[in-house]
Amino acid sequence: MTTTWKITLRILRQKQGETKTSWQDFSLDIDPDETVLDAVERVWAFQDRSLTFRHACHHSTCGACGMRVNNIEKLTCITPIRSVTHNNGMLRIEPLRNFPIVSDLVVDVSHFFQELEIMQAPAVSSNSTANLDYEEVFPDVAEKERLIDCIECGLCVSACPVALTDEAYVGPAALSGLHQALAANALSANLALADNHSGVWRCHSAFECSAVCPSNVEPGYRIMDLRKKLMRKNFHQWFGGKEAGK
Amino acid sequence: MMDKPTILIIGAGFTGCALAYDLTLRGFSVTVVDRGEICSGTSGRTHGLLHSGSRYCVNDPEAAVECIEENTILRRIARQCIEFNNGLFLAISEEELAYKETFKAGAEKCGIPIRWMDKKDILSREPAINPQVLGGFEVPDGSFDPLRLALAFAGSARNRGAIFLPFHQVESIHIDGRSSVDFIILTDRHTGRSIEQHADMVINATGAWAGKIAEMAGVNVPVIPSPGVMVAFEKRMSNYVVNRLSLPGDGDIIIPQRRMSVIGTTSFEVNDADYIPVDQGMVKEMVDRAIEMIPAIARVKIRASYMSARPLIQTGTNARSLSRTFKVFDHETDHGLKGFITITGGKATTCRVMAEKTADLVCEKFAWRKTCQTKDFELDSYRTFYNRQA
Amino acid sequence: MKGSPSPRNFLQWFDPRGRSAGSWGFMLNRITGLGLVLYLAMHMIVLFQLTRGAEAYDSFIQLMKNPIFIIGELLVIAAGIMHGINGIRIGLTSFGIAVRYQLTMLIIAGIISAGGILFFAIHMLGGA
Ligand SMILES: Cc1cc2nc3c(=O)[nH]c(=O)nc-3n(C[C@H](O)[C@H](O)[C@H](O)COP(=O)(O)OP(=O)(O)OC[C@H]3O[C@@H](n4cnc5c(N)ncnc54)[C@H](O)[C@@H]3O)c2cc1C
Ligand code: SF4
Ligand code: FES
Repeated sequence: MTTTWKITLRILRQKQGETKTSWQDFSLDIDPDETVLDAVERVWAFQDRSLTFRHACHHSTCGACGMRVNNIEKLTCITPIRSVTHNNGMLRIEPLRNFPIVSDLVVDVSHFFQELEIMQAPAVSSNSTANLDYEEVFPDVAEKERLIDCIECGLCVSACPVALTDEAYVGPAALSGLHQALAANALSANLALADNHSGVWRCHSAFECSAVCPSNVEPGYRIMDLRKKLMRKNFHQWFGGKEAGK
Repeated sequence: MMDKPTILIIGAGFTGCALAYDLTLRGFSVTVVDRGEICSGTSGRTHGLLHSGSRYCVNDPEAAVECIEENTILRRIARQCIEFNNGLFLAISEEELAYKETFKAGAEKCGIPIRWMDKKDILSREPAINPQVLGGFEVPDGSFDPLRLALAFAGSARNRGAIFLPFHQVESIHIDGRSSVDFIILTDRHTGRSIEQHADMVINATGAWAGKIAEMAGVNVPVIPSPGVMVAFEKRMSNYVVNRLSLPGDGDIIIPQRRMSVIGTTSFEVNDADYIPVDQGMVKEMVDRAIEMIPAIARVKIRASYMSARPLIQTGTNARSLSRTFKVFDHETDHGLKGFITITGGKATTCRVMAEKTADLVCEKFAWRKTCQTKDFELDSYRTFYNRQA
Repeated sequence: MKGSPSPRNFLQWFDPRGRSAGSWGFMLNRITGLGLVLYLAMHMIVLFQLTRGAEAYDSFIQLMKNPIFIIGELLVIAAGIMHGINGIRIGLTSFGIAVRYQLTMLIIAGIISAGGILFFAIHMLGGA
């Protein structure tokens, strides 16, 4: 019933404290319905115990397993091998970009999490505010609560061209976090955190964040929606009208 | 007063993280090591069901009481990463309906607040549920994000001085001349370098791996990894956690989480928990069972199927039961080995009380008169785990 | 630190491997933007030539009839069209308008630009 493919994982290796990096190939016989994370974990379990990578939930809720697979940011625990290569194919696995690398595929997410915390991005919200504002929510379930969409995986930051060059850029995930905080509680969210040259105005509309986000967050939409809200607010401030909400 | 005793915890799953928090609050100097990321063992790979105890209220009331108590406490201290939408126990067959009174009596005895809902009530709240449902109980279940729950405990510990060393693998445990654990040898997997780490006490909190770690100290902990499979679907089919009104069995639960539904689980035995491939046959069986509860799930795409292993403790062992639901092996009384304790078993839902009971034992060993404070305040934000340490 | 953002990474802006359509819009806007700035600078220099009298001007115009310069001019026009039309798309989305349709708008912008460039190409090269 199950098929087996032969694939090569080409993994970018590096040790903490050393500047040298190198590609290492591992060949693997694997069921193509297993995921890229399964393949990486197999390499660790059966071939090379020194390989380091992050993972926890294996079902797209924790956000730990982001990697670059053939140059594209992927949440590896929900990426079947079948979807990214073919029998006898090769997968190039690299750590996420725009994060300091600790070792092999492990990146340092501390700054990223601090930005999210500053934005007071909630982790749980009611269905009506957790969904995107253009999505329909049935009234019966609107007030039930759920974990919000952003799993803080950092794929969007890795894919963003502006984050490549500008360390100060707050980034798509944190700005989406602020947008989400605003939806959950308009009074306590601090819009000023986005209204500066490292905030929403730094974005240059490549929309890569929305393209790679594995979890329906649509950071590109949220950044633009923040711009709209800010423009409305600033317009009212400059021209003396009444402030139309925050 | 004596110097702060130093405690080294091996394993950063729910057990290790909650224990680190409890011991730090009581004034111990705590270091936690894990060979991988926080929650990279069993803890990350759970359904995320915050038990109300209802699943056990008939056949295991002691576990049920523990669950409902902890459920209530976590509502207070860990709101940040839990969906509290309650659960349903559905009667779909006549046989299940007949179980109603037994279940009700069990839940009442355990102090679990439940409420009977008729068919119409259930279907109006959860339209995706099988229309053949005959009725069901509403219970206070919830669902949590596994990594974030552990990080909330770990972050709260770290903010109070505990040290976490993920990606540090234990290689060997060394005993001194007075049969007391002296130091352990770790590999820092980021650099590949070897480190010698001393501690007044070493606590083995490695779940399904507890036997292997105990072996390094030359003692026997008879646990066998017993994995289960879980399947996550692309769509959130309900807001309630959905169970069957019967004794717990395979594939009888659907848990909403974010935009997903997770179904579980099964149970078998393996020798080694390091890599457990998913058994597609089991996935299929479970999906078929889930369809009985929510028929439309048949048309939803599977997002992930995954495995993890519980530690199955072999019967007839003389482990000291601090509670019936998890085991503490005090290797001093069992094997004459000082400064080494193993805790294993339990559930994510009960990790706080496991930590409390274990920390009580640690205090007893050091004649350290401090009581548990983990019930008292809300945990720090899980994100503070990543604060750069001052 | 290794992996961190740095201005030196800007060459990677133009590495299209693995990137989506939105990045093509981003790359083209960077390239056309730089091209237009360069052209503007050249234009200023040329205008400055005029101050040196009519003769200089005439010989300059003669030079400009060379097909290479016509193609150069066409490139400038193409850059102007692409930058301008994609600019409208970016402007709209920046006001929070039709953000969900940015990809469709990019495709439309591409079609309009191609049409415009073709028009000028026929007009300028055909007449030569
Ligand atoms: C299929 C399944 C579903 C479950 N679902 C639920 C649920 O829905 N709700 C609930 O409340 N509970 C659930 N549980 C129970 C719960 O997941 C476990 O009780 C809990 O995760 C155990 O945590 P732990 O910290 O004891 O073990 P683990 O999380 O396994 O931690 C052990 C750690 O030790 C580390 N380790 C191993 N060897 C070494 C070494 N040599 N050096 C250093 N570190 C090492 C591992 O990396 C690992 O991180 C479920 C269990 C299973 C199996
Ligand atoms: S916005 Fe999407 S890609 Fe970015 S961190 Fe959140 S889930 Fe990941
Ligand atoms: S391992 Fe948790 S998101 Fe992939």
